[in-house]
Amino acid sequence: MKKNRHDETANPGRRTFLKAAAGFMGSTLLGGLPFRAFAQAAELAPADRCFVFVYFAGGWDQLLAFDPRDPAEFTADRASETKILPGYNLINDSRFLDRPILPAELAGKPRSNIEFGPAVGDSLAAHYDLMTVIRGINMNTLGHEVGYRYFLTGKLPIGSAARGSSTATEIVGQMKPRVPIASIAYNIESYNDRYGGYANALRVSRRDDLLLTLRASNDKLDSEIEKQLLDFRGQPVTCEEAAYGARGVGTTYGNSQEQMRLVQSQGLDQAFNFLSTTNPEMAAVRARYGLDNQAAVDGERGRAALVATALKKGIAQCVTINLTGNLDTHFGTQLTHANNQRRGFDALANLVADLRESDHPSGGKFIDHTTIMVFSEFSRTPLINAAGGRDHHLCNSCLLIGAGIKHNYVFGRSGDIGMSPGTFDLRTGAADPNGENIFPEHVIATVLASAGLDYSITRVDPLRPILA
Amino acid sequence: MRRLVLSAALLALASGCMKSEEKATPPPLDGQLEPVANPHQPGDFEPLPDPEAQGGSVGRQPRRLTVSQLDAAIFQAVGRRWVTPSGDGIDARATSLGRADYALVASENTEPNLVFAKFLEDGARYVCLEQAKAEVAQTNPALRTLSRTLPGTWGDLRKLTDAQVREYLVYNSTRFWGSPLAGDELTRWVNLFTQAAARVETVTTNPKPRHQALAVVCIAMLTDSRFITY
Repeated sequence: MKKNRHDETANPGRRTFLKAAAGFMGSTLLGGLPFRAFAQAAELAPADRCFVFVYFAGGWDQLLAFDPRDPAEFTADRASETKILPGYNLINDSRFLDRPILPAELAGKPRSNIEFGPAVGDSLAAHYDLMTVIRGINMNTLGHEVGYRYFLTGKLPIGSAARGSSTATEIVGQMKPRVPIASIAYNIESYNDRYGGYANALRVSRRDDLLLTLRASNDKLDSEIEKQLLDFRGQPVTCEEAAYGARGVGTTYGNSQEQMRLVQSQGLDQAFNFLSTTNPEMAAVRARYGLDNQAAVDGERGRAALVATALKKGIAQCVTINLTGNLDTHFGTQLTHANNQRRGFDALANLVADLRESDHPSGGKFIDHTTIMVFSEFSRTPLINAAGGRDHHLCNSCLLIGAGIKHNYVFGRSGDIGMSPGTFDLRTGAADPNGENIFPEHVIATVLASAGLDYSITRVDPLRPILA
Repeated sequence: MRRLVLSAALLALASGCMKSEEKATPPPLDGQLEPVANPHQPGDFEPLPDPEAQGGSVGRQPRRLTVSQLDAAIFQAVGRRWVTPSGDGIDARATSLGRADYALVASENTEPNLVFAKFLEDGARYVCLEQAKAEVAQTNPALRTLSRTLPGTWGDLRKLTDAQVREYLVYNSTRFWGSPLAGDELTRWVNLFTQAAARVETVTTNPKPRHQALAVVCIAMLTDSRFITY
């Protein structure tokens, strides 16, 4: 087992003091305030710091994504020596370049330090100025469940059983955001091993599940009786009710009911009705995300629009989403895999563009308040197998976008022979034969540290060169 | 002599086997709690700690019902399970309400969060409206659940006397929470019921939706924190 390095720059004493002070101030200010008054005074507002965890299911080909190779250098003739075959020429589709993408220089920004694989596409690559790419991650596993659970929690599972909490749960548990549904897990697992139920993610397998939660009941009373019921529930509680609500469950339940009414009174389910022709706001969403039919709404672009809406409307602070799948291409063509990746990256590009153009109520744009982590459980072999596909490969890469991290930056690299995970001095990012591997827990610690959160559960230090 | 001893032993055994005559307790009347005399006398028990020093109350914290408990409680209180013909209901929503699936979640979550509040509200509305509709058509009070104290046939609920309304509410509060409404709080509930009863008579549809007056009380009681805690 590798030892964690001593962290010279961290100052736990100061951090602990600030957290304690913040907790004390929060409880002092909010503890004495009846929730009804608090909820009525406060409209739903986006969290000051948001997180999106984007999962590409099945294990992506990083040669097509975030760890490309120059096909002129890594030729088929040298494949037996390098054990790497980019295979870009095998895609044979005009939408994909036959070489890595180097995005055009943005006005007023330095040129891109990041090269992208052809599947990333120009639209996502154009946001290079907001990105950090981490390469050469050692996944320690070739199992799908183990790999994505490892990236979800930052802890290597025991067998295939996850350990610890999901990163989103950890964030919500520490930050306790004042949004109605702190964390949404869309078609992906979520774990909570040490926080109260408030930190649990709302797990939905499709958009309709989320709408069901936000929508008022179908069984309605007469409108006047509904008002009478609402007024009745708003009356001051009696001593007996207060006795039940004095501690714990009664207070929490009362708060939850208030939140539910707040959410339903704002008709937030309509914010996800992207095909609505009566809501003028939806036309802009449809145009941005290309949602012209139900299939598009249910696909990658619709999911990206859902993420943006949940964050911008102040419904959620963290969204973990299974954005695209069908990447476990042991058989078939390079085009199949590239197409499946491209759908996800195009949707992601729409989301990033939306967040970087939308104003955040606290100032700046939404992307200045949002950290996006894009990951897959492992990568695919750098050589093509006999069936025309690629198998599971240990060395992975991932993408961080947005707040709290350095931009236009690459950390780590995979080896030029067989794309093996490298060893690095994690304090500087420099390759070091005596250094350490980059593991998913380093990435998770970095995400937590990017928001000033306690990352001690990962038992490693964050990748400090990445932190802004 | 031996015969005498044997007879005496048999008599003794026979008397020893006889049970003392049990006094059958009549079933409690619906909606009434039999008062129980305080068996304790001052000095024979340790006084409870000062509630003010215990955050306003003593004893353990109230707990939320688990999904299984909630299912049984709704059935007992309202008289029907929360299961819709389309298959939606407490079984379909069990995971959202907190039940562990023992694959990803190994322990039941009894936190009454927003999702729980939302789905309980949905369930309360469904079971209360369905039950109230059924009870409007039921002329035998003994076969009703929510309106057992109301007369056999009833139409305009505004014509119920104040005593009948209070009896109805006390019965249901005991049924739902195990504690009868009283005092100012009972008056508040009376107002809710009488307002709803008055409202349904102004509706022009035929028949008038009188079941909603029963349903609104049922919904309010079922979504009260006293129903979901123990």
